[in-house]
Amino acid sequence: MKRILLFTSFCLAALVASSQDLISKIPSNASVVFAIKGKNITDLVTTSEFENSKIGKLFLKELDKETKGKVTSLETLGIDVTQNFYYFLQAEESIFTHCFLVPLKSKEGFLSLLSDRKKENLITEQGLSYFTDSYDSAVTMWNDDTLLVVYTQEGNKYDAYSYDYYNDYETETAIDVVVEPSYEVAEDLAIEAPEAVIEEAPIEAEASYEEEIIIDAVEPSNDNYYTSDYYKAQAIERENARVKRDEEREERRKASLKKTLERAKSILAGNYENGSILINSNYVKSVGNDKDEAILWVNDFGSIYDQALPLMLGGLSNPYEMFNFKSLYGGMSLTSKLNFEESKASIKTIYTMNDEMASYSREMYNGKMNSNFFKYINEDNLQGYFAINMSTEGILNAYPKMLENMFVGVEKEHLEDLIPISTRLISLLLDEEAIAKIIRGDMLFVMTGLEQKEVTYTTYEYDENYESTEVTKTKNETLPNFLFMITSEEKEIFSRLMRIGSKEGVIIEQNGMYQINIPNMPFSLYMIFKDNTLLIGNSSKDMMAIHNGSFHAKFSREHKKLIAKNSTSIYINGKQIVSQIPVDMMPQAYEQKLNYISENVEDVIFKIGKIKGNVIEGEMILNTPLGKGHKNSLAYFINMMDALVD
Amino acid sequence: MIKKITKYILLAFTITLCTSCFEILEEINLNSDGSGTMLVTFNLSKSKTKLASIMLLDSVNGHRVPSKDDINKALKDAENHLKTINGITNIKKTADYQNYIFTISCNFDKVASLDAVFQELIRKQNKKEQTNFNTTNFSYDKDTNNFQRNFTYDAALKKAFYKLKGEDRKIFEDATYTSIYRFNDSVEKVSNSNAKVSPNKKAVLLKIDAMALILGEKSVANTIQLFK
Repeated sequence: MKRILLFTSFCLAALVASSQDLISKIPSNASVVFAIKGKNITDLVTTSEFENSKIGKLFLKELDKETKGKVTSLETLGIDVTQNFYYFLQAEESIFTHCFLVPLKSKEGFLSLLSDRKKENLITEQGLSYFTDSYDSAVTMWNDDTLLVVYTQEGNKYDAYSYDYYNDYETETAIDVVVEPSYEVAEDLAIEAPEAVIEEAPIEAEASYEEEIIIDAVEPSNDNYYTSDYYKAQAIERENARVKRDEEREERRKASLKKTLERAKSILAGNYENGSILINSNYVKSVGNDKDEAILWVNDFGSIYDQALPLMLGGLSNPYEMFNFKSLYGGMSLTSKLNFEESKASIKTIYTMNDEMASYSREMYNGKMNSNFFKYINEDNLQGYFAINMSTEGILNAYPKMLENMFVGVEKEHLEDLIPISTRLISLLLDEEAIAKIIRGDMLFVMTGLEQKEVTYTTYEYDENYESTEVTKTKNETLPNFLFMITSEEKEIFSRLMRIGSKEGVIIEQNGMYQINIPNMPFSLYMIFKDNTLLIGNSSKDMMAIHNGSFHAKFSREHKKLIAKNSTSIYINGKQIVSQIPVDMMPQAYEQKLNYISENVEDVIFKIGKIKGNVIEGEMILNTPLGKGHKNSLAYFINMMDALVD
Repeated sequence: MIKKITKYILLAFTITLCTSCFEILEEINLNSDGSGTMLVTFNLSKSKTKLASIMLLDSVNGHRVPSKDDINKALKDAENHLKTINGITNIKKTADYQNYIFTISCNFDKVASLDAVFQELIRKQNKKEQTNFNTTNFSYDKDTNNFQRNFTYDAALKKAFYKLKGEDRKIFEDATYTSIYRFNDSVEKVSNSNAKVSPNKKAVLLKIDAMALILGEKSVANTIQLFK
């Protein structure tokens, strides 16, 4: 079955490639590929629809300004927005090559975006036009149908000269102290001077006086040093070294630019010895049916981290060099797909791990959601929730192993042996099973609605003679209610803690429900322990009902499934939140916008699934309303911006 | 921990839901010899839920949110400024972060010393923003027993207000400014029609909305004639 799917993918890819798609210009060993599917996007929103939208008009206005009226529409821009756009990264020998491929309809529009200075430096040969930037090793090249921007980053560009500046001065210091003859004279003076002082000066002033005289004695000799022939010779030597260094750097820069230029030409030609990315089975399998609007594919995190870390984290002095990142991230890949459908927009990310990381994740994410949580939710007022479904025991077991693995083969400071010793010792001290009884790892935070609450404030009253007195008054404020639930089997610990709190006067007990007043907070917190659940909430009414067993629960199967089947889930009930915002409390200018949002907003869902094999999937979904004049979810975003952006 | 979590939960809601307002209270007790005391109170207590939440953020609506240290430093700067003025003594400041009430008070040997507190600041403001606020704010003529609170409206105030975003303008909608001047001698008459004289005739109260002041509809200027 898998082979059939793979074969189908190859066929689809071949079809795409045959229609002059720029994907054929991406080499098979690219580490990262990001694609924006122009055709899919323009099928959802046409270029004229975009041009007539507020954001489109703004975009064209800027283009018009930048090009002094030469580009007034997407058509005259010269870019073929109905084709696919690509970015890819090649990481080889610590050199990162970033490439952007843009489909062109006509060169004229693109040329009008260039400054006159750029145009002057334009080189044209064999049907290719390009200009270069030697500083960044960047090449911008185009032919009749493709624009390519390439720039390279070198991971090991810290050459033998990198520390010359400091080395120069280290040498100088040594000379100051030992070699320079005039300095020897100064030292003699410095030794002699305090002797003379000691005889005359009071004993308690000895130290400071001594220092003062030494400095006085050395300064003139330093002056001699800086005008000495020796110093001048050193200065000339330094200057020569600098010139040589600059020349060599310039040479390297030129060589690098030459390489980038050759690479750019080969990319545009697309004749790779090892074929294009379309023969990379990992890529083809990950990309799938080509129905998405944008796709990000990262091949092997391990090798990218390996080459990127020195570059990003301080070159040779990389503080993370002691970690064995490869053992954790090696063989990991990621595919992320953006999709605009009729009634939802989604970003789906598939993360494939190596066997070791997968085994740790399996332990950590092996949580079981407490079904009792669902007895304390009424979705009629539900604004949203955040659920975590993990295993405390699994985390405590897996984390030390993960840490040990991170230092495998790291001989520096004996870390390879010291880290396992420390993690074993910690594991011996911790009883993972007992800790998991206190906090099992599954928890649910629910926004249960808004409520008008009375809050106090300070103001002033004046007597008949206008003497002011500070008084406390009350007013109503709309505040959110929430409920936080954690699974625990240690009611005993909770009860004892509450007893201490009651005795200390910070907790008030009300028939098994505990109230905590927190300074600066306009509400109190209530806590109860029911069955195997610790509940913390700020609605006394709800908490009392839960405590008495009279709470009216209502929670749909879809929500239960979303929470129970995923390791993490977030749900935001956009419509409910917006509808509960009291319009009279908003600035008038926002009233109309708020009404529009209220009419058009739907739910947002974010979920990270449980690990299956070596794969973990995450998805963010924004549901969009049907029957409100949005022909699809991409059009929805444009319509929302039209309505809300001033 | 719980406190921090609840604060963050509140944050998202209070910023949009809670109204924000503040009051400024300026109290001056003037002795017959021209000396006296001044107390300025910034009371933001009515917005304390919102402020407690905002203080957790770095910025709101593109404006940097001052930390407690910033506020304390501003109060310290004000105190240091007062210390540089001759005739100003017994400077005290308070900061109540439970209720968000901040005060600064001082004694002055003569009204001219009190006026000097603001003179340099206003001069700098006028130069910087090309405004035309009068630099003399308080004056007292012992011979005629006449106390004056001067204020010249500058349309720059209105312009600056309308440059603010809608959300920021909302802050001023419920804000008030109150001045109370107390005297040893009885008040004969006041020039500001919005000012009220106490029944014992020894105090004058003027409470106006910040919006009326910003838009130039009302003024804090007042000439108070005391009986000799």
